[in-house]
Amino acid sequence: MALRSINLPGIGTKYELVTDKNDTVAIFFLKNGNIQMYTLPHEGQTPCVAELTPSEARRLGAIMTGAIMESDQESVEIAFSALSDLRISIHTYMIGKSMAGRGIEDLQIRAKTGVTIIAISRGDKNVVNPSPDFVFKEGDAVVAIGETDQLRNFEREYMVE
Amino acid sequence: MEGLVIALFICLVLLIITKYWSWPVIPFYILAGIALGTSGLKLVAPDAISAFLSELGLIFLLFYMGLEIKPDRILSNQKTFFSSGIIDLNINLVIGFVASYALGFSLQESLVIASAFFISSTAMAVASLIENKKLLMRESETIVWMMVFEDIVLIIFLTLLSTSMSNPLFLIGKLAAVLFLFYVVTRYGKRWIQKVINREDELPVFLTFSAVICIAFVSQAIGLPETLMVIAFGAALASTDPRSFELQARPFKDVFLIIFFVFFGIGVDFSGGFPLFVIVAISALAIASKLVSGLIIGRVVHGQAGSGVEIWANTIGRGEFSIALASLYGSAVVSAAIAAMVIITSVIGSFTAKYSGTFSRLFDKARNKNKPSNGTMVN
Repeated sequence: MALRSINLPGIGTKYELVTDKNDTVAIFFLKNGNIQMYTLPHEGQTPCVAELTPSEARRLGAIMTGAIMESDQESVEIAFSALSDLRISIHTYMIGKSMAGRGIEDLQIRAKTGVTIIAISRGDKNVVNPSPDFVFKEGDAVVAIGETDQLRNFEREYMVE
Repeated sequence: MEGLVIALFICLVLLIITKYWSWPVIPFYILAGIALGTSGLKLVAPDAISAFLSELGLIFLLFYMGLEIKPDRILSNQKTFFSSGIIDLNINLVIGFVASYALGFSLQESLVIASAFFISSTAMAVASLIENKKLLMRESETIVWMMVFEDIVLIIFLTLLSTSMSNPLFLIGKLAAVLFLFYVVTRYGKRWIQKVINREDELPVFLTFSAVICIAFVSQAIGLPETLMVIAFGAALASTDPRSFELQARPFKDVFLIIFFVFFGIGVDFSGGFPLFVIVAISALAIASKLVSGLIIGRVVHGQAGSGVEIWANTIGRGEFSIALASLYGSAVVSAAIAAMVIITSVIGSFTAKYSGTFSRLFDKARNKNKPSNGTMVN
């Protein structure tokens, strides 16, 4: 794997990586803040290009570091390989009608499913580590943590309308 | 004043349209200026305000260019930088000079036209590489270094053209003194400058604005060309915190440069006759001579003339610096010829830049009919 970086006046910074299989990946940090990513298979002539905003690039980077697995459902699984392969999943859910107006304690989420609600996002406000008497509103995004099986129980128990 | 407002409004409309279609916008400002001004409807006439704003556009363009000059980067790419730059310079300057002299311009005029003829638009080349998503091509780096080389040659042109009007030794002496002063200030005031330019309040933007204007004014007062002084000032500040200065100077450059272009067009005067033949000949040669230099650069730098087609396709457009040279040193006829050349080459250049892939494939196919084409991308 060969990586080189170069500053191109007027354009920005270029990072070019040639993989062991001779494919080329090049990343350009443009002056306007956006990022262009080129990939070129080793026998190809025309590269594929994607232009990313900084936040998109950060997301892509997070996926590629491998610590995080993200699906379209916004679920993240973290594996601590040093701790006998401890796996924790973090999932986001939208609160629907059935849960609206009820509190965390009232719903007995942890007792029934083992899942813990660790954060709630309402509009542009976030609540981290909500107290048990926190009351949900329709449209809240909640972040739940647990094992994959526990989260599946949670979905079955609460998310089915 | 209402003339300025009309011009601004039309530029805004043009900007929106051209950005939507990803066209180069500079030729349209000039065309709009020609249509509105002396050679067109005579709706807008240059006045003291527009002259001042245009001048700001020019000095901020040059200041910004100075900020981009970073010797350490150039030294790390010497080979490409010098070989491509020198080929580009020799071929285009000679063809430009001989052609304009043959077309009946005086020596001085021919020198101005040849300089404008040689210097491609950095803004257009860079924008075309980014917008047409061609940054991965190995020719892209060559093109970028060529543009930097051209900018440095422009500084030499500006020095030569301005020294021809006064005592050269005296001027160089004064220039050296000022450069030394800049060096001392940025060397010992570096910490302070870095601290001030990164403040969150209005100080950085006002510092940038007023410092550049003061430098331009002082240079006039002590009899030095302001163009060189603002470039030198930018280059000196490039050793402190160029990114922050670029960030602060950019709005001024962008806004005033548009006024500069449109009022350049307004000032273009075809009353001395519309030299159609001269314009067509110079524009056609401007395109052809970049093809010649491009092919040789492709051969020398990339070992493949097909690469040269790609280089050519992205560097046809002449733009901001050609207009700057014309407005500083061009007579009415010279300015008109350069304006026309900029319009024609930049419109054709944007087209060739978009379809360059096809051109260079066709070129390679035509050259190696028996061998399979090699393509022009890195591999």
